[in-house]
Amino acid sequence: MNVWKNSAMDKMGQLSLIVVVGVIIAGLSAPVLAPHDPLAVQMSLRYAEPSWEYLLGNDQLGRCILSRLLYGIRPSVLAVLVVLLLSVLIGAILGFLAGYFRGKTDTWIMRICDVVLSFPGYVMTLAMVGILGVGLENILIAFVLTKWAWFARVIRTSVLQYTEMDYIQFARTTGMGHGAIIRRHLIPVTFADIAVTASSSVGSMILQISGFSFLGLGIQAPQAEWGMMLNEAREVMFTRPEMMLPPAIAIVIVVSAFHFLADSLQVALDPRLRQSGLQPDRLPDQQEVAVRL
Amino acid sequence: MSKSFAKIMLLIALAATILSACSPAGESSSRPTASASNNEITYATAKDINDMNPHLYTGSMPAQGMVYESLVENTSEGIKPLLASSWEISKDGKVYTFHLHQDVKFHDGEPFNAEAVKQNIDAVQHNAEKHSWIKLSTKIVECKVIDEHTVQLTLSEPYYPALAELSMTRPYVFLSPKDFKNGETMNGVNGYHGTGPYVLTAHEPEQYATFEANTDYWNGAPSIHKITAKVLPAGETTFLALQKGEVNFAFTDDRGADSMDVEAMKQLEASGDYQIVRSESMNTKMIVANSSRSGSPVHETAVRQALWHAVDRETISRDIMGGTETAANTLFSSNVNNADVPLETRSYDLAKAGSLLEQAGWKLDAGSGTRSKNGVPLSMSMYYDSNSSSQKIQAELIQSAAASIGIQLKLVGEESASIANRRTTGEYDLLFNQTWGLAYDPQSTISGFTSENAYLHTTQGIAQSGQLYEKINQVMVSSDEQKRKALYADILRTVHKEAVFIPLTNGNITVVAPSNLQHISFKQTQYELPFELMSFQ
Repeated sequence: MNVWKNSAMDKMGQLSLIVVVGVIIAGLSAPVLAPHDPLAVQMSLRYAEPSWEYLLGNDQLGRCILSRLLYGIRPSVLAVLVVLLLSVLIGAILGFLAGYFRGKTDTWIMRICDVVLSFPGYVMTLAMVGILGVGLENILIAFVLTKWAWFARVIRTSVLQYTEMDYIQFARTTGMGHGAIIRRHLIPVTFADIAVTASSSVGSMILQISGFSFLGLGIQAPQAEWGMMLNEAREVMFTRPEMMLPPAIAIVIVVSAFHFLADSLQVALDPRLRQSGLQPDRLPDQQEVAVRL
Repeated sequence: MSKSFAKIMLLIALAATILSACSPAGESSSRPTASASNNEITYATAKDINDMNPHLYTGSMPAQGMVYESLVENTSEGIKPLLASSWEISKDGKVYTFHLHQDVKFHDGEPFNAEAVKQNIDAVQHNAEKHSWIKLSTKIVECKVIDEHTVQLTLSEPYYPALAELSMTRPYVFLSPKDFKNGETMNGVNGYHGTGPYVLTAHEPEQYATFEANTDYWNGAPSIHKITAKVLPAGETTFLALQKGEVNFAFTDDRGADSMDVEAMKQLEASGDYQIVRSESMNTKMIVANSSRSGSPVHETAVRQALWHAVDRETISRDIMGGTETAANTLFSSNVNNADVPLETRSYDLAKAGSLLEQAGWKLDAGSGTRSKNGVPLSMSMYYDSNSSSQKIQAELIQSAAASIGIQLKLVGEESASIANRRTTGEYDLLFNQTWGLAYDPQSTISGFTSENAYLHTTQGIAQSGQLYEKINQVMVSSDEQKRKALYADILRTVHKEAVFIPLTNGNITVVAPSNLQHISFKQTQYELPFELMSFQ
């Protein structure tokens, strides 16, 4: 794959990808990897120091911090990825519609986007949590409802660049259907933009989810979540500052990994590289167009 | 890329340095005695003092306690004179005649006299619905001015806790009649002039409020010149502010929540700059079960009893409260008047809890691990005060024990005002609460069983609620000590059997004060501190 080949030149990108994939796998297989039940309360081990049995020590209820950290990947990272996928999907569909068909469709979709985007994201999310009630699902719903507009707008711009290009015009004159043009000629070229914007917003979404959980609006006890673990550690910030380290470091590592990955992806998928014709996957497209002509 | 990586490492290193500088080990901050020499107390409060109108309920009670005074005072030796120097009670127990102190003035210079007393009491009575929790408000028929310094209160029937209820922090305290709006106080007031030892001089909402000593105080000007209430919502900021000397005083707030955890307080005490003073047990911290919620499992006595058995009070007392509070097994501890009733102790016993549920027909569903009956899962919501550092931990401990016997508890942390609102509207299954303190227990807390603002929803759903309310009405008007005792015992047995108040620990007031502050004492009520008695060495 070209993406992999290009980012293979970038050590940081590779490392980030390994971290990201590793974290996702760890989250998926948390029940296998976690040394203890993340919900098992043992008051005798309250605030216990790290030991061989409990590698990161125990929290205020004597629960295993390592296990909670592993289970915390699910709401903190995996849920974010699902939400991202959903919002990108909605954003992409609407963005393609707006960018490709232009005219009234474009105006309508973009005005709706304007309305959604004119509210600050945090305020919108807070308002929705206020309406729907606290809980991780509600925050995730709120995220999908507010984030799609931004993706729709970015994808529309990306689509616009290409719809005016000659080869698309040719495709149209040959009587190729709209669906086929979008599928064969637009999605491949705009995919890079979509990937880069999506991956660069993962980081901020992870931080936002953690932020809301920190405020007690996200996932509810006893389930583990990194932001909530941080909030619990905050209460003993000056007596046991070390309690803050595991969740804080986990958040920093994952968010940085996603950011570096996004950076490398951008370099790897840079449009200038693509135009130099070095990318094998673009060749069949061009050939096909040539044949049809 | 490598450049930005290096930058980030640098940032992390920088952050680490800053963080380590914050740690108490590197502490070299100014000492709190700086403000002590100014003869001032600045206390940390999680909430703003809010509306100081003493005839409504949104204000901070410790602040109101400094500014306003009642006719009589509730002390450990019984009712003592305050604004009334003496009083007589008629033979039939219906007419109270108070002789007022003669040289008392409100902070705005208005004289405190019989007319002012009448206006205040009338203003409270005009807003009767708000005050229904205090039964005296339903018994007062008339307040009559006899002469300049004598006032007469007539009740519809004899009511033995009348003086105790007149001594409370609110609503029967006195505001200068000049502050009234159209002769009323229920629609807001023009000023906050009481007769108390401190005068409210400035209030910046959500930031601070200052109180200065009332130099003309009829009972002698207080030694501490100035008291500032500074709003610090989180425990860590309070801790830092105490360490830096920005505030020099902190105490358990009127909702019973300590924002700082026990270890942080110990650390402050170890520094030598602060002392910790704890009152005797003042109240019982508990979980209140909404027996009247018919759709929820909490409606069932067996479920509530099982939950009672699922609370490990010893661990809460020892590990979570750090030994500062003792485990409670009954609604009122035995040192409360009329509450020394032998009741069955429901100890921490998960096997017993499980068998209670089994007998009641709650069968364990192997798949989910939660019990259910007729398709209704054994699931309840438990609300705790999100400002309290210990309530959430207790809630999670109980949640985990309950889960092991198939009870699913959903925890919801909310603002204390929202919890109070839930108690009034009945929109809860279980919530954290506390009894009202020595001055109010048992009579007012028990009257509260019949009041919608308090525990009506809690007690309404039990089988013999009609009988219970009848007994509560009887006990309040009974003049025979023995009969009263028997009725109280009956009432306590009923609520104990029904397990609607699940006790946790006996709470107290904890004060963190500069080590050179003397004469720190407590009142019978957990809602006020006698600042006027304190002085610096």
